[in-house]
Amino acid sequence: MIVCVAHNIISPLGVTTADNYAAVKSGRSALKRYDGLWGLPEPFVASLLDRDAYADDRQTIDEKIVIDSVSRALEGAGIDTTWTRVLFIISTTKGNVFLLDKRANAFPQERGRLGMMAREVTRHFGNPNEPIVVSNACISGVCAQIEAMRYLESGAYDYVIVCGVDVQSAFIVSGFQSFKALSPDECKPFDANRQGLNLGDAAATIVFTKKDKVGDNEWVACRGAIRNDANHISGPSRTGEGSYRALKVALGDMEPEKLAFINAHGTATSYNDEMESIAIERAGLAGVPVNSLKGYYGHTMGAAGVLETIISMQAVDDHNILGTRGFDTLGVTHPLDVSNQNRATEKRAFIKLLSGFGGCNAALLMAKGGLR
Amino acid sequence: MDELIYTLKQQIIEALNLEDMKPEDIDDNASLFGEGLGLDSIDALELIVMMEKNYGIKLKDPTQGKEIFKSVAVMADFIAKNRTK
Amino acid sequence: MMRHSVIITPDHVIVDGNPLMHNEKGSVLLTELYRNNIGDYPKFFKMDTLSKLGFIASELLLNAEGNRSFEPREDRAVILFNRHASLQADTAYQATIQDPDNFFPSPAAFVYTLPNIVTGEIAIRNKYFGETSFIVIDDYDEKIIMENLKNAFQDPMTTSIIGGWVDCSDEEHFEAKIFLIEKEN
Repeated sequence: MIVCVAHNIISPLGVTTADNYAAVKSGRSALKRYDGLWGLPEPFVASLLDRDAYADDRQTIDEKIVIDSVSRALEGAGIDTTWTRVLFIISTTKGNVFLLDKRANAFPQERGRLGMMAREVTRHFGNPNEPIVVSNACISGVCAQIEAMRYLESGAYDYVIVCGVDVQSAFIVSGFQSFKALSPDECKPFDANRQGLNLGDAAATIVFTKKDKVGDNEWVACRGAIRNDANHISGPSRTGEGSYRALKVALGDMEPEKLAFINAHGTATSYNDEMESIAIERAGLAGVPVNSLKGYYGHTMGAAGVLETIISMQAVDDHNILGTRGFDTLGVTHPLDVSNQNRATEKRAFIKLLSGFGGCNAALLMAKGGLR
Repeated sequence: MDELIYTLKQQIIEALNLEDMKPEDIDDNASLFGEGLGLDSIDALELIVMMEKNYGIKLKDPTQGKEIFKSVAVMADFIAKNRTK
Repeated sequence: MMRHSVIITPDHVIVDGNPLMHNEKGSVLLTELYRNNIGDYPKFFKMDTLSKLGFIASELLLNAEGNRSFEPREDRAVILFNRHASLQADTAYQATIQDPDNFFPSPAAFVYTLPNIVTGEIAIRNKYFGETSFIVIDDYDEKIIMENLKNAFQDPMTTSIIGGWVDCSDEEHFEAKIFLIEKEN
């Protein structure tokens, strides 16, 4: 079984998993309104790290927070990153894309390549293997975990370190603005008055290994799947085709009653949340509580799948179904069990669900103590 | 108006990369989305940018596009009435 | 087991080991290949160079496979790799926001600033509901690619994969080296 042995989250809400979970549990959000930032003509709401705190002339902010997050995750884990049987998988959509802006910076252009950014990380940790960069739009963070499960299952590595990262920039924000996808206020996932998403900065790390025997309190990555809508490169399927199919494979023969919740993508765009409600109902999971963490972090893109998996594990450990911040009145056509309040649970498993541009969707089943 | 309609057709073809089309191939009154030209949601967003760039028209609410992009004739009429450049 | 393969560079096209005749080079080559071999998919002209390249390469590959039905299927994955991610599209989008006095971010350019869009284009064309994935490594490495694709057969439904390398740094510099592989029992 593939077991999570360490994790960390670096976000505007904190630099440890515990701080992040405590902040989310208490309802804190890092979303703020920015007016005129980066010369952008329109204001936007986002969850941003303090850029000055990461200013450096040798490493970009993306590289620095990945290195920081991995270092913190590995503290006391007893993993020597110089081992050949340790693999790094980086999950990111845009990496150092800000380097394309010729006004911006002193870094060599080649660091804009995702593979070079990843090599900067493995160089720091003295890891001899070529890092794998998963760049699958907004589902990258779950895809990277599925990749890790496969590499460990094949026996090629003993440990896989997965780190998801994205840092917002004029490039990304203006693009989402051109798509009319950003909410003028803090986002409202699954709500009747939702007006779009917010973007966010984060890096999040999960370390996996393979074990024959798993303890009661160890987290197991059970099954994951990636499926395409085969419909449109930017608009989600009206039938939730790919999301439904990914959910079905991830769920497998597990009874829905055993799921504490589905941690949905829940970006708070009109189309995404509606599509997820269709997919969840089609998969026979309409009775399972659903939540979204976008109201706390915004959409952290390449980090989202990793960050939201970690927060969800912490919530189950705490017997808690986290409330969906920003939600008030259900605004999707297929009924879902969404609440803005934290709720108690004794269940020990959840599904992490994501969708992204390119028509891609991913689902991952995580269970404490494994499937039993 | 005819001149605006012709120019607009050229601008639509350029903005949306309708490589194999000429202005003559686009009917003034044919619908731009669905049947007709078969444009999609990204095309609609791109037309909003095109109107802002070429005619100085800023659409506050993107759902307005639905009405305005009914046909080239409707679009030309809207531009004639609202253009700032 | 490898069934079919396609290589496209700015001046060579090779299908299953045999050169395919053409007159053009560079970006125009892709348009020529589209006109000679496909012709009925005008969305091609909206694509960025990476998607055009991957789309054309997959079309040649699937024509070589034959018996194209376009029936929906979930057992075929599309898993591609490259070095430059979506650099050509990124550069094109950056040009629409670089000048503050001419700041008109283009949604049609932005949507292609993700390398996995090409896998979506191939899935849409062929109605593939299966896995689609994009992986970036800084150098072409057949060992890494083949190991990764072999792992992808761990998915309970995947029985064949359109996989390989699809890379471009700008409109004139590109390389596709893709193949169709089937699961070995």
